[in-house]
Formats: sequence, C-alpha cells, structure tokens
Amino acid sequence: MTQSPTLSRRSSSSASPQPRKSRRRGADARAGYTFLLPWLLGFIALTVGPMISSLYLSFTNYNLFEAPKWIGLDNYTTLLQDERFLQSVGVTLNYVIFGTPLKLAAALAIAMLLNSKRKGQGFYRSAFYAPSLIGASVSIAIVWKAMFGDSGPVDQGLSFFGINLGGWVGNPSMTMPMMILLTVWQFGAPMVIFLAGLKQIPADLYEAASMDGAGPVRKFLNITWPMLSPVIFFNLLMETIHAFQIFASAYIISNGEGGPAGSTLFYTLYLYLRGFSDFRMGYASAMAWLLVVVVGIITLIFFKTSKSWVHYSGDSK
Amino acid sequence: MFDRRKFLTTVALGTASAAFLSACGQSSSAGQTGSAENPVTINYTWWGNDDRAERTRKAIALFESKNPDVKVNGNFTDFAGYWQKRATEAAGGGLPDVMQWDLSYLRDYGQRNQLLDLSTVKINTDAFDKSLLPSGQIRGKTYGIPTSTNAFAVYYDPAKLQSMGVAEPDGQWTYKEFNAFMLEVGQKGNGALYGGTDYTGVWWMYNIWLRQNNIQAFTDDGKLGFTKDDLKKWWNTTAELRGTPALVPEERVTQLAPKSAMGSNVTASEVTWDNFMAGYLGDSGAKELKLVPVPSDDPDNLGLFLKPSMLMVASAKTKYKDAAARFIDFMVNDPEVGQIFKTSRGVPASKTQRDGTTFEGTDKLVVDYEKSIEKYLKDAPEPPIVGFGTLEASFKRVSSELNYGKLTLDGAADAWFKEAEDLIKQNA
Repeated sequence: MTQSPTLSRRSSSSASPQPRKSRRRGADARAGYTFLLPWLLGFIALTVGPMISSLYLSFTNYNLFEAPKWIGLDNYTTLLQDERFLQSVGVTLNYVIFGTPLKLAAALAIAMLLNSKRKGQGFYRSAFYAPSLIGASVSIAIVWKAMFGDSGPVDQGLSFFGINLGGWVGNPSMTMPMMILLTVWQFGAPMVIFLAGLKQIPADLYEAASMDGAGPVRKFLNITWPMLSPVIFFNLLMETIHAFQIFASAYIISNGEGGPAGSTLFYTLYLYLRGFSDFRMGYASAMAWLLVVVVGIITLIFFKTSKSWVHYSGDSK
Repeated sequence: MFDRRKFLTTVALGTASAAFLSACGQSSSAGQTGSAENPVTINYTWWGNDDRAERTRKAIALFESKNPDVKVNGNFTDFAGYWQKRATEAAGGGLPDVMQWDLSYLRDYGQRNQLLDLSTVKINTDAFDKSLLPSGQIRGKTYGIPTSTNAFAVYYDPAKLQSMGVAEPDGQWTYKEFNAFMLEVGQKGNGALYGGTDYTGVWWMYNIWLRQNNIQAFTDDGKLGFTKDDLKKWWNTTAELRGTPALVPEERVTQLAPKSAMGSNVTASEVTWDNFMAGYLGDSGAKELKLVPVPSDDPDNLGLFLKPSMLMVASAKTKYKDAAARFIDFMVNDPEVGQIFKTSRGVPASKTQRDGTTFEGTDKLVVDYEKSIEKYLKDAPEPPIVGFGTLEASFKRVSSELNYGKLTLDGAADAWFKEAEDLIKQNA
C-alpha cells in the first residue's frame, strides 16, 4: 500500500521532457496499476466503501433492523453528554498516556541490551520477541486474568513480600495498571524496529565519542537518541495509534462489560457495546469517526512537533 | 540513514490505514443450506453450557430419527455472545431458522419483523397454561412459544447452615428478616462464607418487589411505571448490609464471574431463578440446595410469577417454515424431550411434556417449588419494552458501581434513569 503515491508521482512529474521515455514510463505505470489492482479493489470494497457508509450512518439513528433515518448531528451532540462516553475517553487516554511511553521505554532498553555482541543473542532476541507473537491472542488475556485474580500467582507473589493487594481483576483501581503491564509486556514489535535502527548507527561514532571521554549516558543522549530519533518517532506514532484501538484484551478480561465499575471501559469496547449490544449503530459509527478524527489530529501534532527533535540523515541540523 | 521523504510517506500511509481500521465494523453471514435430495437442513442455535449442548444434541438426534426428511444443524454460544451474534445476523438478513430465545429480546426482534408469526404455522399449544402464552405474544402475533417456566426463589445450602448453627429459613419472611439471616450467616462465616450477594442489583427481584407494592414496572405505552424514589428505596433495602459480611464484596463477585458466588461456595444463599439449580449444584459440588420463596413485606403478595425461562422462535425469513414449526412443536411438546432436559431449561411448560417426564432428586425440588408457590402466582409479565436487554444490563452495572462505592444512592438512581429515559426516547 506504500507503493501507489511513489508510482503516481514518478509517472506524473517526469512526463513532459522526453515523449518516448514518457511512453515507456506510461506503460510502467499501467503495469504498476495492474499489479496494484487486486489490492486496490479490496481496499475500495472492504475499507473505503464501509468507511463512507459508516460516515453516513453516523448521521442517522440506524439500529440494525430498520432503515436508517437522518438525524443530523444528534449522535455527536449526544456523545458529549453521555457520561459513559466521557468515562471511556478518560480510561483510554489514561492507557495511552501511561502505557505507550512505558512500552517504548521497555522496548528500547531491551533492544539496547540485545544490540551488544554477546553469545546466544539470537536466542535472547527470539525469547524477548515471543510474548508479542502470542500477545494479541485471546488466550493471553485469559491467562492474564487468571494470573491477576484472587490468590493468583501475582497476588501470592506480592503477599510473600508483605504486599496484600488481593486480586487485581476485581479492584477498579488496579485494573488499569494490569492492562498497562499487559501492553508493556508485548514490547516485541517496537523492540525489533529499535534493534534494526540501532544496528544502522555507525560504530565509529561511538568510538570517536569514547576517544573524547564520553560516558554511556553521554553517548546515549548525543549519539543514540538523535540517530535513532526517526525510529523512535515511528514507534511512538504506531504504538500511540495502537493503544487507542485496544479492544480484545479488555473485552475478555472484563467479560465484555468494561467493568469493574467501568475501569476497563475502553473507547472501542464502549463503541462495540453501543453498536452490537444496544443496536445503536448510528451512535457507534459517530464514535468511530470521532476516533478517526482525533487520532488524525494527534498524528498531525506529532508530525508538527517532530521537526524539533527528529533528525534525518541529509538534514542540515 | 533514513531518507526523510520516503520515511514520512511510509509513516503517513501506515498511520492512515491503521486509523481507518478503527472505523470499520464486522460482518458475518449464516450458512443457509438448501435441500440437496429429499431432506432439508434447518439451522438451530441456542445459548448454554456443555451440559445443555449434550442434551440438545440428543434431542436433535431424536427429532431427526422421527423426521427423516429434516436435518437439524445445531450451534451454540454463551449468553452474552449470543445476542451480539444475532444482531449481526439480523442486520445481514441471515438469522438461523429456529432459535432459543429470551423474553428480554422478544420485542427488539419481534416488533421489528425479524421473527416469524408462529400462529401462521402448525404448532400445538393445547397443553399450555393459557396465562403463560401471552408472554410470547406482541400485538396479537405469536413470536415465541415458551419451552419451560421458571420462578424466582432464594437458594440456600442446608449443610453449610447446619455446620454454622444457623436455622434453616422457612421462606415466610420480610426483607428485614432476610437481611438478618444473611448477616448472621456472614458473621458466623468468618470471612470464608458470606450471607449472599446484593439482591438489589438483580432487575427481576426489583420487578418482584414492585409487584409486591402493586407497581407496574413498565406502563402499557412502554414507559417506566416507577419513580426514581421507588428505585432509591429499593437500592436502600440492603444499604446497611453493604460492607458487612452479610454481602460478598463486589470485588469477589467480579473476579468469580461468569461463575456465581454461590456456585463458587463463597455464599450460603442466592436469589435467582429456580432453574439454575442444576448449574449451581454442578459448580459448587454441594450435596443439596434448597429453595424457598423470596421475602415480602406483604405475606399475601409475594409478587411471584412464572416466566418463560426460554422461548422457541423462528426467523421471519426462514425458507423452511414447515420444518421449523415441526421442530419447535417437537422441542416444546414431546415427552421424550422432557426426559432429556428435565428441569435444566426450567419446568416444562407443556403439560404433555411435563407429565411425560419423571422428576427425581433435584429436578423434583424445582418442580415441587413451583407447585408450592402456585397460590401466590400472578400473571406472567408481558414481553418487556424494546431495548430491555440493555436496561437489565445497566441495572446490574449501576448497582455494582453503587456497591463499589463509586456512586452514591442518588447518583446511581440518576445514572440509571438517564440511561433508561434516553433508551426509551431512542426507541419510541
């Protein structure tokens, strides 16, 4: 999906000077689009089409059974007065703001450990990546629920140290830390990307810095961080967007209810309940579009601020 | 190292597509198989546990042996997932031919023309109590046939009470006496055993309390028949018990879910439907559980009624009306089906089926209980309002937040009323 703009740019920008070459370029583009066609058809039928219809539905009172009736902005204005909606926004923001940086920090820390030359690194890399392979699955959420339940391993382990929290699952103030731990534990995907980024930083930079007497902190701040900043930026963006979409684990851990006391009522879970339990598809569509817009705005803000801290090779700063 | 332009394009596209994903929903379709040779295949779906699945499989095999021209393709899920699945199927126009149904959702689907009017097909209802059938009917159309009935009751574990020296209740009690009973159990249970769960969080118990006070839960035009003060008064019934050993803490209830506190041997009593007997016995491993009527401050009006514990319905779009009708008729009337299910669906509603079933042991307890309360029974409730399933769920949720101390009594009543009124306005 990353190919289409590159292709179109090439075919349009370099068309004028030499007609013969442009004909060949035109044929190239045609071939390109032909290869693209299967994906493009799927994209239009399965993504763009449903999106447009969901945009339309968000202005209706569609309830799955009866023909949708246009109600203008009603869904959007109701949203702002819906206390459970506001609660779900709070829960989700909490999760994004605390969960994402922690996860990235864990991913970067492990990636740096795995970047050094040591025996058996291949094994460690696979071992640390493993949680991410199974992490998004239903079974892990079930295991998590059992681990953090009353007299589960976590409860027992903590009481060994004299900390008696009881089960986390039933305690509204402990469910968020539990959910954040679950996402932090799945640091594998950003870790692999960090690792790839770290490998590309030329070793002579570190050598030169050592020569100048720079310690590890200094090296991290002045070499690793700026050299890695595009990768950090990429991971931050992807993980933030991911975090906004958390659904499956919350659904399973709370039995699909968002409890206890609404503490795991994540945005998408509430959206799902509104749509599929309460049959308010119009309302759910409005929620979905609000999420798209908000995620879009946050992405935009990220891009704007990135200029001041993300460094690309070839940039003058 | 990273070319800015390429990099940003990649990120931007990745971001955009990831964000798009959050806007798309799910789709599903139900397989509708036609008749290859002679036999037609109908799809049947139900909710329940493995035990019910096993019994249903036996019933289907029996039906197929008696009706060689029909094959039944069975499918089941748990209760919560069941309704989400039906919603997507209904939206796609692919509801299964025959379905097990709950009273809470009869209006949602019946009133919106998703269910077949069963008075247009041949199903024998002669053996049914005439006061029970209206609960499957809406505006003169029959959308559901009750398979069985259940009634509200207080369960208790006699062995646990005996070991603690607590007297067994006789079921003639006021709310005060019931509360005192739970407190006594809780205090003697010493943290290991609680009196019961907070029964004020159960919608149907509230409904019974309203009936005891001669208040209708819903008016005939689909509005709330009670006031905020009624609701506050109800939630206040157990106010003094919250935080005492009389009630199992809400944290525990949440963690035990979907198992019940009684089934997990954490409480000595529970207020719920009498057909949960088999499930509770299986979960708890208790030798015996007993049933007594719910408390009432008016000894002549217990507010009790027989509710269809489940109904059989057919999709309005089924291609095999005749086969569907025959299967429904078989499931509700056949005595052998009664033998297979016993009281696990509730007490069989059809007299033919009931009389053809031998009830022993715990099944007999349930049947005897329903006989013992016969003189108190009032008419079965009408199918509740559209969206009732949502209201019932939010009733439980708000009361749970009350127990967590996240909401005050006033806040809880306000929150529930706001949701209820919003929902009623929405579906008006």
